[in-house]
Amino acid sequence: MFKNEEMEINLGPQHPSTHGVLRVKLRLDGETIKHCRPMIGYLHRGVEKICENKTYFQGQIWTDRMDYCSAIANNLGWAEANEKLFGITVPRRAQYIRTMLNEFNRLASHLVWLATHALDIGAMTVFLYTFREREDILDINEAFCGSRLTTTALRIGGLREDLPPGFEKMVQKFLAKFPACLEEYENLLSENRIWKKRTVGVAKLNAEDAIALGVTGPMLRAAGVPYDIRKAFPYAAYAEMDFEIPTRTEADTYARYLVRLAEMRQSARIIQQCMDGMPEGPVMAKVPKILKAEVNEVYHATEAPKGEIGYYLVGEKGNPNPYRFHVRAPGFINLQSLPKMVEGSLLADIVAAIGTLDIVLGEIDR
Amino acid sequence: MHKFLKTLIPFDIAKGMLITGKHFSKVFFSANRRKVPFHVVSEYPEVPAKMQPRFRGRLQLLRDEAGEIKCVCCMACEKICPTQVITIESDKKEVRKTKLPTRYDFEMERCIFCEFCVESCGFDSIILNHQFELAVYNREDMSIAMDGKFQNMFGISPVAKYSVADEKD
Repeated sequence: MFKNEEMEINLGPQHPSTHGVLRVKLRLDGETIKHCRPMIGYLHRGVEKICENKTYFQGQIWTDRMDYCSAIANNLGWAEANEKLFGITVPRRAQYIRTMLNEFNRLASHLVWLATHALDIGAMTVFLYTFREREDILDINEAFCGSRLTTTALRIGGLREDLPPGFEKMVQKFLAKFPACLEEYENLLSENRIWKKRTVGVAKLNAEDAIALGVTGPMLRAAGVPYDIRKAFPYAAYAEMDFEIPTRTEADTYARYLVRLAEMRQSARIIQQCMDGMPEGPVMAKVPKILKAEVNEVYHATEAPKGEIGYYLVGEKGNPNPYRFHVRAPGFINLQSLPKMVEGSLLADIVAAIGTLDIVLGEIDR
Repeated sequence: MHKFLKTLIPFDIAKGMLITGKHFSKVFFSANRRKVPFHVVSEYPEVPAKMQPRFRGRLQLLRDEAGEIKCVCCMACEKICPTQVITIESDKKEVRKTKLPTRYDFEMERCIFCEFCVESCGFDSIILNHQFELAVYNREDMSIAMDGKFQNMFGISPVAKYSVADEKD
């Protein structure tokens, strides 16, 4: 009757804690995970192929819909990759506004991460507070470009419009209250014994493994590697900004939580610097109506909230569409570290591990 | 000893509860007062929602002061549209030097509200208005044309038919 055998179960694709349609195939021995394989592809739309049949301008809207929590960061990568391909120089004011919007986007993405991660582990209250602040950021998005989530805010060559009247007031109002809000989250979670029991020492991924698996973003920085593309290969106006790269060495879920919280502080700092040093001038460079590339290829990487997002574009002579388009999505690469993190640990820890990965399935499946 | 006390009395959890209590009392004591310093809830269907000036809603054709359609059928919006939701047919007329659209179809079900069409328009003849209540009962009502019954390209409020006031009776 009592056989000593391993059991196979599926976590997802309709499980509430898998953040979308991720299916994880697990083989369990009692409650210990012996084998773990993430199965993806339930949200595949063929974004890369679609973009090859659209012009360079039209392709941008598909990047919004990959990682829908950080649309502006995706847009920025796309726009900068195209600017690199066609040799367009973006005006300085546009660079500053882009940097600021990108940091707002990082805040929004991290707030969603904190909310859902805490919700998975069992702390419901934080969800309500983080979404309160995220609402303000989405209002700022709406004031700038007219849309809240899938923004399409940037254009190849700059921005569509300058900042709207009253924008600075909105930003300053947000920055004035945000540090107090961050403290609130810390008070709710940082020392909470339930939170610590669920996160400290859970889902460890040391620096060696992280680098071997290609993991980037806060996951890598929590393992003690101070790699941030904003510092390593500065783009937009990041070269002129003064900010730090928060790192931890514990490489567990709790360390990633602390890194992301510290990152939010740095983001608020960058936004303040952008507002203070905003140069005057145009926001759009001269861009031809139809972009046609000579044969050349370009890879451009930017630091999205989840890690390195890279756009690989191959142009074809006389073709208004890209010949080949590929996205190096941070969530997709980070997800492959899941088996490394959870194999050998308890079943309950996989929920924390998926939460700490900060995955968005729209980006993984594309 | 200190550690033991910490284990015995859940200071950390009390700290979290204090924040919850603070917010609860803030709302509790200011609820139903005349001067509420912060409004979280808006009475939306009764009080119309105020959108930002740049809000991207439904596509709308504009007329000039004389009541003429501003669109000259340059097809720029049709070309730039990433999801190809706009279909234009034009007819050369004597009344006007430029072309006049005889058909301007907009399939809202596929529109992604990116505003590329408005950006490409050199004659300021289309806008995305502030309409966001775009739900309809029938799928055909999503296709908007120049001569629709209650949804046409010129109307500002295509879903007025399904407003809250109607549902009451």
